[in-house]
Amino acid sequence: MSEEDPISVALKEEQVSPNEAPRLSVLQWFRTNLFSNWANAILTVLGLVAAFLMLRGVLNFVFSENREWVAVRTNLRALMTLSYPESQYVRVWVALGFVVGLAGLSAGIWSDWGGVPVRRLATWLMGAGALIAICVIVREPSVIIGTDGKVVRTIEGSPLRESFVDAMFDRSSWWIAAVILLATGAGLWSRFSRPVRGRWRRLRSELPITSVVFVGIGLVILSLWVVPYGHYAFVDGTYIAESGTTVAFSTQMPWTVMWVLLGLAFLVGRFLRSSRYVGMAKGGSNMLWLISPFALFWVVLRDPALDYGHVLSTDLPMGLAFGLLGGALLWLLTRNNIGEIGRITATALLVFAVFNWVAAFFGWYPMLQKARISFLLLALAALLAPNFIGEVAKRRQLVLGWLGVMALVHYLATMINTPSTVDLQSDEFLGGLGLTLFVAVIVVILSFPLGVLLALGRTSKFPIFRMLSTSYIEVIRGVPLISVLIFFSVMVPLFLPDGMELAELAAVLTGYTLFSAAYLAENVRGGLQSITKGQYEAADAIGLTSAQRTGFIVLPQALTVSIPQLVGQVISSFKETSLLAIIGLFDFLRVANSVIPAQSEFMGVKREGILVVAMIYFFFNFIISKYSQRLERRVGLGER
Amino acid sequence: MNIDDATTAANDRLADRDDMIVCVDVDKFYGDFQALKGVTATIKEGEVAVVCGPSGSGKSTWIRCINRLEVHQGGDIVVDGIELTNDLRNIEKIRSEVGMVFQQFNLFPHLTVLDNITLAPIWVRKKPRDEAESMARALLERVGIPEQAEKFPGQLSGGQQQRVAIARSLAMEPRVMLFDEPTSALDPEMIKEVLDVMKELARSGITMMVVTHEMGFAREVADRIMFMEGGEIVEVGTPEHFFTNPTEDRTKLFLSQIL
Repeated sequence: MSEEDPISVALKEEQVSPNEAPRLSVLQWFRTNLFSNWANAILTVLGLVAAFLMLRGVLNFVFSENREWVAVRTNLRALMTLSYPESQYVRVWVALGFVVGLAGLSAGIWSDWGGVPVRRLATWLMGAGALIAICVIVREPSVIIGTDGKVVRTIEGSPLRESFVDAMFDRSSWWIAAVILLATGAGLWSRFSRPVRGRWRRLRSELPITSVVFVGIGLVILSLWVVPYGHYAFVDGTYIAESGTTVAFSTQMPWTVMWVLLGLAFLVGRFLRSSRYVGMAKGGSNMLWLISPFALFWVVLRDPALDYGHVLSTDLPMGLAFGLLGGALLWLLTRNNIGEIGRITATALLVFAVFNWVAAFFGWYPMLQKARISFLLLALAALLAPNFIGEVAKRRQLVLGWLGVMALVHYLATMINTPSTVDLQSDEFLGGLGLTLFVAVIVVILSFPLGVLLALGRTSKFPIFRMLSTSYIEVIRGVPLISVLIFFSVMVPLFLPDGMELAELAAVLTGYTLFSAAYLAENVRGGLQSITKGQYEAADAIGLTSAQRTGFIVLPQALTVSIPQLVGQVISSFKETSLLAIIGLFDFLRVANSVIPAQSEFMGVKREGILVVAMIYFFFNFIISKYSQRLERRVGLGER
Repeated sequence: MNIDDATTAANDRLADRDDMIVCVDVDKFYGDFQALKGVTATIKEGEVAVVCGPSGSGKSTWIRCINRLEVHQGGDIVVDGIELTNDLRNIEKIRSEVGMVFQQFNLFPHLTVLDNITLAPIWVRKKPRDEAESMARALLERVGIPEQAEKFPGQLSGGQQQRVAIARSLAMEPRVMLFDEPTSALDPEMIKEVLDVMKELARSGITMMVVTHEMGFAREVADRIMFMEGGEIVEVGTPEHFFTNPTEDRTKLFLSQIL
């Protein structure tokens, strides 16, 4: 029970049963855990010394007079999006706002937090105060700077440091912060460790989660207007430090909007959670998460100049035709007495759809790409139709789903086919954290279904699927990621037929997805192999088809079992995006490692940026890891 | 009326019923090892047939061949007039008419008891969800655990899990129920609750084929007992005949060992 999130610990605290082990006092805890015998005591002391040295090293590095944190502050925009055009920057904020709002909404809908116990909050406050106090004491005294602005040196040549007492006085603002935190925490703790009386009676020992969230958001917004986070600029291909007031150059206002949005979306989510639409809200937010990366990509990179004549004469009628006629067909195919006609129709559609693509390859007859895609999707929907035979509600589900898919596909296809008006200044239009996150998210989303299919193929009883999947997985796993990336960025464009182009980013995404899918497939295969034969037999015995068996029985269990490996795969996909630098893309790490140190203002300033980049990588991965632990607990992994 | 007359009488009683399961010369091989050697038997509609025999005698293999969990290599198996061939449609049809209860329960651990029971009615029988759920609750009532509907299988005792497994099979409204040693994995004190459910089921008139070592159950509810050894059916008879006057030496030996 070492890894527990505060909430579940708090929940347990609320219901302490007499059977539980007695609580140890602080002194007893120290004696049983840290100083139980001589060897243990020595290890404890050594560990403390090592921790002290490391903490002091980090603090001395961060607060050293030699650090140029202004390089990072000035280049925040470069770190996030590199050289995205200033005039269009509002698109970035819109995209971010969408993600932030969706995150708040999902947190509200899914969170099972009841409230935050005041004593838990008090512990956090005291912990933060104690941490600040320790850091203030541990850090070495600063170097003395003389009146001429130079480091004062002793006779031996080493820099002169202020005395310990002076240093403590210099850090008085930190001390005040630490004392305030400690005092608040201690006050809350003592107030709520005994029954509350008098004026405070109405306050329960738990704060409602919404109020905690709003106070937290309020504090963050306040900090935006108090702490100088920095302004930055990108002018004529070089970076210069400059302050500005346009959307692209400001942080305060947009970020304030973002945090307010987060809070409001959280409220809406909480409201939906307690309403009867909770099921719909959960499904809807999941769908939005899946499609948002692709949709946002278009928001950020494209501003289609729509030709409304064409839209009204071709795009709209075609979308409607596919939606309505296809919907009607699916409605017919889910009738109770459809029998064999359903299978025959679906197969015929599939043959026709595949033939369209073959025809496109040889150029036999022209056809809009949209129509080809729609026919293929219609064939797939028709193949799925037998699963929706039955009551009206189920049939309606399929038809509505079809209409939704058609609307989305035709919208996206129209938008993609229309020329964009976003004027991208340079080739590296997408860079920094934006590129890193974009590549990671797209790769994870795309490689997941592919990986599952490969795993199913590799465990299939049909030799041809097994052979193809196995050889694919083994070939890909035998090749380093870098060579796959180089292959796709350099070689693939050479092999493409005339007139066909693949943007470098698209090529790289393809390669990375194919690579990641192979590893993912192996993780899923591990899960598949843990499913006992009895589960297959039981599914067969109650008459499920093999697709239903896979979808309802085998995959849910296999994926649950492989959550730890899958999350590991997600984390490593995210981190390995830094290899994109090798094929010339400007990812997050490369901005800190090469772009900032090349600026005339901050020549050679590297370490600060890399430290910040590392912390941000860690932040994201920590969240993923924490989330996966919650997920594992919720599905009861390791308890069965 | 002597015992052989009783057997004849029982056979007469079943004679005018339709055949539910017909096996003719069924052979099954695992590599070179022949697990079933020309098994021939007919089980009538509404009959309760108990199959017993020493371990390795092929009884489980035989019962698993009947809904195609194992593929037989020779002979014919016809269930309710449908012949088991490689034709997927026939297999689908037979599986939706034949329920099976396993030794290891084989419940779906990631689904609640209710979802375990309603999955097949909803997706195979295409029943509306609320209809399937009310039927599932009625079935849980019938097997005596209506209060466990929302739990997961891992939270139930072995006996309760096996009763859920029976309810799951019954939810498909099968015409035949196959039981493959349903009580062998249970603690002794839980065997009775499962057997009680099976007895109630036997009296309801459903066709049952039960592989079991529970001789008390066989004596009480079986219409016929089939004794298997070495992949063959050695002896068939009513419980009275089987327990008091077995003709074959191997049957006598088996009975002397287990009674």
